[in-house]
Amino acid sequence: MFPDPDSKLAQRLNPVLFLLPALTIYIVFAIYPTFSVVEYSFTDWDGISPDRNYVGLANYERLFSDKIFWAAFRNTFVWSGVIIVINVGLGLVIAAMLARVWKARLLIQTCIVLPVVISPMAVATIWRWMYQPTGAINQALEGIGLSALSTPWLGSPDTVLYALALAHSWSTIGLSVIIFLAGLQAVDEDLYEAAHVDGANVFQSFRYVTLPALRPVTAVVFILTLTQSFKVFDIVWATTQGGPIRFSEILSTYMYKRGALENQYGYGSAIGVALLVIVSIATILYMQIQQKEDR
Amino acid sequence: MTRWLLLFILGVIAILMVSPLILTVFTSLKPTTELVNPPWAPPVNLTFEHYVRVWTEGGFSRYFFNTLVISTVDAVVMIVIASLAAYAMVFMEFRFKLLLQILFLIGLMIPVTAIVLPLFQIVRGFGLLNTHLGVILADLALAVSVFVFMFSSYFVGVPKALHEAARIDGATEFQIYRRVVMPIATPAVVTTALLEFLWSWNDLLLRLLLMTRDEMRTLSVGLLNFQGTMTRDVTGLSSGTVIMAIPVVLLFLFFQRHFVRGMTAGAVK
Repeated sequence: MFPDPDSKLAQRLNPVLFLLPALTIYIVFAIYPTFSVVEYSFTDWDGISPDRNYVGLANYERLFSDKIFWAAFRNTFVWSGVIIVINVGLGLVIAAMLARVWKARLLIQTCIVLPVVISPMAVATIWRWMYQPTGAINQALEGIGLSALSTPWLGSPDTVLYALALAHSWSTIGLSVIIFLAGLQAVDEDLYEAAHVDGANVFQSFRYVTLPALRPVTAVVFILTLTQSFKVFDIVWATTQGGPIRFSEILSTYMYKRGALENQYGYGSAIGVALLVIVSIATILYMQIQQKEDR
Repeated sequence: MTRWLLLFILGVIAILMVSPLILTVFTSLKPTTELVNPPWAPPVNLTFEHYVRVWTEGGFSRYFFNTLVISTVDAVVMIVIASLAAYAMVFMEFRFKLLLQILFLIGLMIPVTAIVLPLFQIVRGFGLLNTHLGVILADLALAVSVFVFMFSSYFVGVPKALHEAARIDGATEFQIYRRVVMPIATPAVVTTALLEFLWSWNDLLLRLLLMTRDEMRTLSVGLLNFQGTMTRDVTGLSSGTVIMAIPVVLLFLFFQRHFVRGMTAGAVK
């Protein structure tokens, strides 16, 4: 199978043989569709019929005047904003607290990270059930005398996006905590000692030691959370499918509806391209920040 | 004093984090008569009838089997193709290497969500709709660059002298890959297997598009469907959820260290 290792032929052939399996699959099923989605977006194809016509920028013109697209666009940003506040803010605080605790640390960490491995589909089922009008959340609110706050979380336009963002954060915050913890391990213990000697309390040492030392890591978690939350489809689709009406419609669900369900391949692809552009920009930022940190 | 306060707060957070899972397990084990009790009340008379019902009548045995096949093949093949490619990228000299590096880098940026429409057409074009193979190929393609980089970062750490010595002894590249480099990269192998298995096990969107026939469905699609038709079957839904979650939860508990390392390394995807 492999020719004499020293022959010229082997030297030429080996890289091909080693790369071929990965590269073939990768180009056919990942790179090619990425170019295709751009191509589709300039056509009026319905995804089924053999003929498709190039329509220039018509799909993008429609995109810009499509109120639902802009609603989905805005929702995607609101959704990501909420998740960033929780995953970066709360994630940082939890990690900082965990780093100061030795007893039961692994147990606590396990509890916080465990939801990360749960399938978004299962997360959707669990939270859909808990958010029901008579579900666990409202029953718990009633139990502590806050029944005034109880509401049909996923049925109300005011709460649905935030409720889903909370569910998503529940299942992803563990990742932020892990990354922050790794960053905290690099912080010099002596700094805390010095702060302690100077009479700083827990909050002051968090404010003046932990926060500045973690600034690069925070940037990493920020962009990471951003890209991750833009890509979300499963949990929204499996709970509300973008409803009620359009109040939890995000770019991915809207693209799926137009493209896969209504067979508007051209238009759906234009939405896909919008998503591609946003996520690529965020990912490039992420890689640049991380590279800077590695150096 | 503050340490105890921290421990208390963290304890509360930990309990809040696991409580949705615990409530789901409680509900799945309750006889229907106990559903009037609040969700946090543990089941009094444990029953496994809902599991049996979902597993047999609900078709979850079939879904479980499909998911297991796809995820396992995904993980095994991913180890092979990603490590081979990474080996070439690190130890071999050839033209267009930089171009390939950029090509793999692009893969880290492509959001699966954005390209599912053409992906569906390609899989259909190969006649692979409703086959395990179609989903497996798509899974591999969309994650392979992550693992090529993961293996590369391990291979870079292998002393060049070790590689050179094996070459001088007359070993072929494949022998060096197999006997010298791969044994050193065991952590990367474990991480790849776990992460790819997990991603594959948990995915919904690709399976929703590529598996339309019921007997080919995976757990994610099966659960979605079950939820659509049996909206009020709370016990059935929670049993299905637990069935889907148990394998990955067990894997996580056994390999927590590897998971934690892998999830931070593969976080871009």
